[in-house]
Amino acid sequence: MGLRSAFSHFAETAAVPVFAVAGGGAREAVGRLSQSPTVELVDTPAAATILLVAGSVPPSLNPALTAVHDAMPSPRGTIHWPLGADQGELPTTPSAPPIGPSADAADAIAHVFRALLSGAVPSEQPIQPNADPNPWRGIGPYGQGGSGMTGGTPYGRPMAELAPDRDGLRLDVLPLSVGPFFPRFPVGVTLEVVMAGDVVIEGRVTDSPFIGHESSFLAGPFLRALSHPAPVAEIELARAREHLRWVSNALVTQGLPALAMRVLRLAATVTPDDATSVTALIRRVRLLRVPQWSGAGVGRLAPELLPGLGLGPVSRAAGLREDARSTDPAYLALGFEPILGHASDAAERWRLRLAEASQSLELARRAGDRRTEQTGVVESPRGRLQAHDAPFQRLQPVIPDLLAGLEWGDAVTALVSLDLDPEEAGVAAIPSARADAA
Amino acid sequence: MRDYASPPLALMTIGLVMVTGVYLIAVMDRSMATLIGGGRWTLGDSAIGPLRSAALLLVQRRRVTERPDAPAWALAPALLTGLAAVALATVPIGPDTVATDPSTGFVVFSAAIVFVMIAVFLHGWSSNSALAMHGAYRFGAQALSFQIPFLLAMLATALPAESLSIVDIVNAQESLWNVVRQPLGLPLYLVVGLAVSFWGPLNLPDASDLAGGTSVEDSGVARLLWTAARAAMLLAVAAMGAAGFLGGWWGPWLPGPAWVVVKTVALLALLLAAGHLLPRIRIQRFVVTAWVILIPLALVNIFVSAAVLL
Amino acid sequence: MSGELLLDAIFWLFAAGAVVTGYRVFRTDSMVRAAFYLLASFAAVGGILVLLGAEFVGMVLILMMAGEMLIMAIVMVMYMMNPAGLNPMWMVHQHRVAVAAGLLSFAVLAAPVLLVDFPDHPNPAPEEATAQLGEELLGDSMLVFQTAGVALLSTMIGAVVLASRRGRYGEAEEGSTEPSLEQDLEST
Repeated sequence: MGLRSAFSHFAETAAVPVFAVAGGGAREAVGRLSQSPTVELVDTPAAATILLVAGSVPPSLNPALTAVHDAMPSPRGTIHWPLGADQGELPTTPSAPPIGPSADAADAIAHVFRALLSGAVPSEQPIQPNADPNPWRGIGPYGQGGSGMTGGTPYGRPMAELAPDRDGLRLDVLPLSVGPFFPRFPVGVTLEVVMAGDVVIEGRVTDSPFIGHESSFLAGPFLRALSHPAPVAEIELARAREHLRWVSNALVTQGLPALAMRVLRLAATVTPDDATSVTALIRRVRLLRVPQWSGAGVGRLAPELLPGLGLGPVSRAAGLREDARSTDPAYLALGFEPILGHASDAAERWRLRLAEASQSLELARRAGDRRTEQTGVVESPRGRLQAHDAPFQRLQPVIPDLLAGLEWGDAVTALVSLDLDPEEAGVAAIPSARADAA
Repeated sequence: MRDYASPPLALMTIGLVMVTGVYLIAVMDRSMATLIGGGRWTLGDSAIGPLRSAALLLVQRRRVTERPDAPAWALAPALLTGLAAVALATVPIGPDTVATDPSTGFVVFSAAIVFVMIAVFLHGWSSNSALAMHGAYRFGAQALSFQIPFLLAMLATALPAESLSIVDIVNAQESLWNVVRQPLGLPLYLVVGLAVSFWGPLNLPDASDLAGGTSVEDSGVARLLWTAARAAMLLAVAAMGAAGFLGGWWGPWLPGPAWVVVKTVALLALLLAAGHLLPRIRIQRFVVTAWVILIPLALVNIFVSAAVLL
Repeated sequence: MSGELLLDAIFWLFAAGAVVTGYRVFRTDSMVRAAFYLLASFAAVGGILVLLGAEFVGMVLILMMAGEMLIMAIVMVMYMMNPAGLNPMWMVHQHRVAVAAGLLSFAVLAAPVLLVDFPDHPNPAPEEATAQLGEELLGDSMLVFQTAGVALLSTMIGAVVLASRRGRYGEAEEGSTEPSLEQDLEST
């Protein structure tokens, strides 16, 4: 059709809607990609034209990846971006050669997008067959599948009955599995909830799929510091950047994507001498009352549950003085004091992470050539990290109590404030995970 | 009954105004996002970018979920557009220039606003998707909470005019704009306006913590129509705010219609900026605020303006 | 004249729409659709009221019914153990009795319309509907409306109290239960 091809041609230079799956080792690169004006990362595959599979995706997530691929409307394409990892056998077939390590990802994506729209590259076929998973098989011998309160036997649907809750009537519940590619959580977090209306009745986070997934993704500065001393400046700068990236994701969760983009740009470029821009950001975020409006009183963790867990900002926001850096002579020489909060809720964790980002930049500026002096345990931005023991695994048992009774928006805010990272758990489980391949 | 414009002319005018307004909102929104995000702003990107994205959505083939309620899913964006058109039709541009001016114009506008919750609920429920259904539930709570503050805030503007017709309401502002006479009215109306068009801090049904909420399963033309319908609703809210609180066509040097445009664009800029700078409000807090704070404030507004008039 | 023809056509459209959607309320197999068909029927009646010159009543009917039908849909989904209302189910009980009762009441209501000799004094369309309404509400019918208003207000307050976070037997977060029932169960 002439009109359709005219529209296609006009749309070739539009911002490409991409659904990005940022697997192991790819989060930072995908964050940099999102800053490019040619690419627009979307929340749902129904709005996307290109599926970007970056980094290493554990094979247990392949069914979900297939579902996401088939959920995209046509014309659709897939692009693989290994980023130095071995992506293994992915269920999706790419529309173009994988993006190389030195290529400009935004350009490559725009190139494939143009080819898709102009018809040079055919739109991908769905991976799963287009068949009804539960076809109607007619009326059965016991009346099932038939008419009359459809569902067969008399009184086929239970009516409302008594329940031990405030109203005394049992409400309809919906068991739901959210993830592993839910845009507000990192890849690999699968949340299994039972909801009644908009309230979470019970919820839990499944184990990290990255554990046991051997792949060659690179270890970050915190993993490297486990085995041999690392420069304090490097570690603290990485910590500040991680905290700022968390702030960016939390801002997107609270409905402020433009401000989140600004914070992401800052996170990518901040240097130790740049502390003023971070303080300016902190002031702006607090002026807009973002932590208070979204997190005051939300996701409160009783401090009695937390001693000894070493959960980083989550523990310190509850007033617990747990920081692996306070036993490191290098930090003590710099006069390091962990920042503590008292209200153990999401707003306090916001404030704490912002304050720690400032503190980390200050430490990085004053550190000079110092190196850390303790190995075997390191304080990652999420808590105490040791080989085979990551904060994600210690957070999992705490989550069901946290989520019970929360409204969905509050539940997402609470989980985001915990800063779950299944990838860290996976890398920590691999002994000396390519620590020297940095 | 008053004089009405001929239906075809009225429909064409409203259609034209809606298309222009939606495009303007898209350009302003994209510009604000680029500026606040720290990127480089180019006129080409901001002006042509929305058109290219719209062309892409037109080219995409719509994909469906398993066993949706297809008629309701298709009806929802059309219903929302229709309601925005009805709401816009009651806003006057000049003393004799209005698409429709029933003597109860205020009630027509209110009925259109209240019906929005049906459109959003249908949109979320019919796609057979849990996250979309959740967005629909949230908007049910939000809509039922904002209705009374909305009606009361707008009703206060009818008091000085002693009439429910919008033209009379604007005419009564010849000497003094309602924003000055009833200082509580415009802030209240803007908050409720954001709630009606579920924009920015009150974008609960299509929220980012629901991965898009009621539009999580939308693709292609359906997505384009829903986005355009939401923008049209925001335009209608801003236009009525300009007419009811900022004095409509009254103003010194420019002709009447130009003033209406200027005031509407000013309110639009304010609402869009709020969308980019204010975080989303929790649904529990909004419901409690609407019932416990906004209703008494609106009642105080009415009592005070009535006392002043009597 | 084409204006009259147009008005007649619109009237028949609304009338047919009201009847058809009303019928569909009982023949559809989805709870939420039933609620919205009822809303469509009411909206059509509201449209007819506007055609009769009673703009205020017609628009207010549409306004109120929207909220009520939405609440009905949500309450049905909440209690009917039918995930989000999308599974098909019968909407009626006692099918034959219901049909008979419906036909009988339709006959009883339609008989006066067809058999009574209505007077033929066309009233001029109200010029200032709002003013006339206001004079009626605060003049002759003031007692009725004030009483109804107070009754509605007390009902609203009662509903809010019932739905409040603090139940009769404690705070909602702690899952309050009737103490007497628990004791009965423990004693047996």
